Amino acid sequence: MQELILGTFLDSDLSLGTNHLSNNFPWLSLSILFPIVGAFLVPFIPDKGEGKQVRWFALGIALTTFLITVLAYIYGYDPSIDNLQLAERVSWLPDLGLTWAVGADGLSMPLILLTSFITALAVLAAWPVSFKPKLFFFLILAMDGGQIAVFAVQDMILFFLAWELELIPVYLLLAIWGGKKRQYAATKFIIYTAGSSLFILIVALAMGFFGGDTPNFEFINLSQKNFGEGFQVLCYSGLLIAFGVKLPIVPLHTWLPDAHGEATAPVHMLLAGILLKMGGYALLRFNAQLLPEAHAQFAPLLIILGVVNIIYAALTSFAQRNLKRKIAYSSISHMGFVLIGIGSFSTLGTSGAMLQMISHGLIGASLFFLVGATYDRTHTLQLDEMGGVGQKMRIMFALWTVCSLASLALPGMSGFISELMVFAGFVTDEAFTLPFRIVIAAFAAIGVILTPIYLLSMLREIFFGKENAQLLSTTKLIDAEPREIYIIGCLLVPIIGIGLYPRLMTDSYTSSIEALVKRDVIAMESLKNPSAQLIRRNYLAPAIIPSPSLLNGTEKTN
Amino acid sequence: MPSAAEIAWLIPVLPLLGAVITGLGLISFNRTINRLRKPVAVILLSCLGAAAVLSYAVLLEQLAGAPSVEHLFIWASAGDFTLPMGYVIDPLGAVMLSLVTTIALLVMVYSHGYMAHDKGYVRFFTYLALFSSSMLGLIVSPNLLEIYVFWELVGMCSYLLVGFWYDREGAAHAAQKAFVVNRVGDFGLLLGILGLFWATGSFDFQGISSGLSQAIDLGTVPNWAALTMCLLVFMGPMAKSAQFPLHVWLPDAMEGPTPISALIHAATMVAAGVFLVARLEPLYSQFPLVGMIIAIIGTITCFLGASIALTQMDLKKGLAYSTVSQLGYMMLAMGCGAPIAGMFHLVTHAFFKAMLFLGSGSVIHAMEDVVGHEPILAQDMRLMGGLRKKMPITAITFFIGCIAISGIPPLAGFWSKDEILGQAFNTFPLLWGVGFLTAGMTAFYMFRLYFLTFEGSFRGENKDLQEQLLLASGNSSDESDHAHSPPGVLHESPWSMTLPLSILAVPSVLIGLMGTPWNSRFAALLNPEEAIEMAKTFSWGEFLPLAGASVGISSVGISIAVLGYFLNRIDLDKSVASRFPSINKFLANKWYLDDINEKLFVQGSRKLAKEVLEVDAKVVDGVVNLTGLLTLGSGEGLKYFETGRAQFYALIVFGGVIALVVLFGVLGNPPN
Repeated sequence: MQELILGTFLDSDLSLGTNHLSNNFPWLSLSILFPIVGAFLVPFIPDKGEGKQVRWFALGIALTTFLITVLAYIYGYDPSIDNLQLAERVSWLPDLGLTWAVGADGLSMPLILLTSFITALAVLAAWPVSFKPKLFFFLILAMDGGQIAVFAVQDMILFFLAWELELIPVYLLLAIWGGKKRQYAATKFIIYTAGSSLFILIVALAMGFFGGDTPNFEFINLSQKNFGEGFQVLCYSGLLIAFGVKLPIVPLHTWLPDAHGEATAPVHMLLAGILLKMGGYALLRFNAQLLPEAHAQFAPLLIILGVVNIIYAALTSFAQRNLKRKIAYSSISHMGFVLIGIGSFSTLGTSGAMLQMISHGLIGASLFFLVGATYDRTHTLQLDEMGGVGQKMRIMFALWTVCSLASLALPGMSGFISELMVFAGFVTDEAFTLPFRIVIAAFAAIGVILTPIYLLSMLREIFFGKENAQLLSTTKLIDAEPREIYIIGCLLVPIIGIGLYPRLMTDSYTSSIEALVKRDVIAMESLKNPSAQLIRRNYLAPAIIPSPSLLNGTEKTN
Repeated sequence: MPSAAEIAWLIPVLPLLGAVITGLGLISFNRTINRLRKPVAVILLSCLGAAAVLSYAVLLEQLAGAPSVEHLFIWASAGDFTLPMGYVIDPLGAVMLSLVTTIALLVMVYSHGYMAHDKGYVRFFTYLALFSSSMLGLIVSPNLLEIYVFWELVGMCSYLLVGFWYDREGAAHAAQKAFVVNRVGDFGLLLGILGLFWATGSFDFQGISSGLSQAIDLGTVPNWAALTMCLLVFMGPMAKSAQFPLHVWLPDAMEGPTPISALIHAATMVAAGVFLVARLEPLYSQFPLVGMIIAIIGTITCFLGASIALTQMDLKKGLAYSTVSQLGYMMLAMGCGAPIAGMFHLVTHAFFKAMLFLGSGSVIHAMEDVVGHEPILAQDMRLMGGLRKKMPITAITFFIGCIAISGIPPLAGFWSKDEILGQAFNTFPLLWGVGFLTAGMTAFYMFRLYFLTFEGSFRGENKDLQEQLLLASGNSSDESDHAHSPPGVLHESPWSMTLPLSILAVPSVLIGLMGTPWNSRFAALLNPEEAIEMAKTFSWGEFLPLAGASVGISSVGISIAVLGYFLNRIDLDKSVASRFPSINKFLANKWYLDDINEKLFVQGSRKLAKEVLEVDAKVVDGVVNLTGLLTLGSGEGLKYFETGRAQFYALIVFGGVIALVVLFGVLGNPPN
């Protein structure tokens, strides 16, 4: 219902928009609306109810959306510019100050690409769905558009709407196609996220009305307003709760293992691959970009929470006996690096946080897909009931091994470089005192030990050892089919590509991150009394070492 | 024509290409590729062979005095941070390149015979090529970070290869242990690298050492911090090169196929730690304290390995502890500030230890035909004996290896070990004493291995003993398995296995002559000034007593072994083991380090994780559920929830959310 109304709204605006910006093709609006329109066509696809026709249609739509975003990146986006690009602006409800404003900068463009990419693969992963396939693919496609909108909109009220609307498909996907405890999980998910997103609305209204002029919720306007420090801190804490639920930040995480534990593989991929990234993106976009003074005060907290995330979730993951929940906790653990990166006040660290989001989007999606594929064969998620599966499913074993190694940050894959950037950025930046940095780095590095412990034990318990006779007597273990290999292959190409040459990805957003960090650093320097003197170094003190001097030019022979 | 060093980047890339091609083939056309054994082996062998030829060319150039070559490109950058990657060719690297490619090539030829009956033949070759590529990459790395990258990659290959026979529980645990223990070392290495980068703004070896001394002079980096960082970095080599107390993974890693034990866990990867310390020599030489700690750890490792090897009954485990002990010698040399001596021992040890391991593989291969594919039986020396008559080539090469490692001139081990002991004598006399004693132990346990395996009479057909051994290991014997494999006959291994053994015997005998203290060509290559200095200060008066003493103690060790295990004149069981039962038990239990490790870290971490999960489920989630129930689940809703009609309940919530959205949409409209 809600979507329908919005959809028509947007449709009419689109036509307006195209007239308005005739010389500028509306790539982003198109990539938001195309899958949504496609979703509404799903009911009209002739299908006998087994989903055989619908899935092809959905795949076509998802792939086209991916193509649109890629074209947008190629033709409309210049990575070297830090400003908003591909911008479209249509006044929507001028009295309210509401505008349909979309655009992309370095923060959003990679995530938009990630969204359309993962969704296309999720549709392919949903190939075997035969229960209410039309509704299923309708929801997936609607979600595609909604999630691109979350990353692309440049207006805070619009952002709130997109954020909320995207919850409904997830809720339904969980509640209808989930596991045994699906109702509980779905309810928990919706209460958590909907409840916390009230903060977004409140803060959006507060920020929009701040200053007393006509309300305006566009990011550009908000970023020019001069909020007081107290106001910023209030807004910041509200937003931190809202986004902390999504990311998730311990102790706001408990919806995630339940939701992930009950979701089916394609939904799982979307949850891990994209939904968690909305939290990280929003933290960067609002907390770090729009509220820089408060960010300077809160950054140490973010970093401490990040370390708690890494260690706490790694330990819980280690103790988990349920495969899905294990991987779900490992996601939480990995998102800890995003928090540290965002709080690091260094270009390198923040860039690492961004890369970690993309990297985890790919790796998390691949692992969750494999969990689903394995469950289809073993019909159990309990590690105790598996064992020796590797002898029958050798290719599956190989895929699992590669993805687990990617997840434990093996060099040559994207996870390594992003974690390294976070580490190096945090340690070398002089924003915090040396003892604080040493302690945090040491604790975060403990995560480096814990991750292989739980991932490799998991592999050992599933695949190694003698075959579990009981499992074999009840199920037939068929090795991975080409579709599954293809999906993992598609995910591995960027994982390894970024791992081998990280600039493939980092170059696309570095300039935006640089601008963002510069703004934060200036705000930090302007603070008269930085909180927590123990932690924060007086920023004006000169950095010990001048920037790493690199050999002249790119190549040197001696 | 470009010089070999200019195209040296091909050395790691060639095997990688081979591995990627076969690896992709395995994933996409598993069955077909698995059948194409010969072509795969030929492709990978020629890739590695080409890399070897290039390496020799590079080494020849370096011998002829060519300058070192470094090529870099910007790999990652953010803000003012840039990270160059590339490759560097210098004498040290050239030596290692030739060493690794030679042994990898020989091991690959050997594997053709050893793995002939294994269904994972192609996978094994792919892993081998992948490992060779990573190891070669590690050698040519121009900076610490790139070393770290390949460091982890060789660790991964080790994980894959130790767990190669993944249906064996032991292999599964060993692979995981190897990776995790190495990660503990990498934890330190990573923090150390980050710390050094913070202090010096550089990752490359020269930049770090000069930057750090500058920073200390300026007072920007306190001395304790610099020391800590150096020691943290050393944690990496400690784990990789199996130094006490992080050596625990190496003996377990013997669960992998024997060619892997020879290549990775004796000759190359475990030596990477020593290599890294050699690379960091300009850094470590600034801190005598760090040198001393390295030397002490090396000595402890050296003694510990040799002492445990004294009582091992498993042929491969005996060799593994011997490797631990020899790696301790190399570290001792590094700690004494004598990287050339350490590197020289690395090279000689690589040849003879690879040969010994491949020899043990040949023995196991033969034993498997008699006792079946059960590692507990096939590797136990109590079931061997008298193999020399059946497998003469294996026996002779193994014997040469024993003499070489025992330090009898003029074989390789003598020159390198004696140089280390000489250096230790001048720097840390106390540590020399321990190293000297260990030399005697080494000679004893190596000849013990030789006599138990190759001399006496064959004990393999003793079914009672087999049953006993199986019972002792906790594995009940698998009756059906025995029925299927009728006892075969002992036989010499095929040419593909004996050829590498014979080839390796040549350097095991001769390579030591490259490093005679009066005219060390090895030192002249690595550090010409020091070589001249060495030759100048050399005096027979100093050399002969020390060398004589080492040879003497080795001879004592050999004599005891001859008396105890060949001539059976003294019963070591009665005269030593039963007289000091506590020491015997202490050694047989490997100093109880595995038990401590299991109790303290494995069980401890499991318990901690369980408790955290409890907290998560009961406290954190409990609060959530409680509030949820109290606020939303009160009254009728709760009843429906309890009776399972949750759809209805969910619908209410769903409607509520939509209502909220609409409500706020309306509320957002202020009445102005």
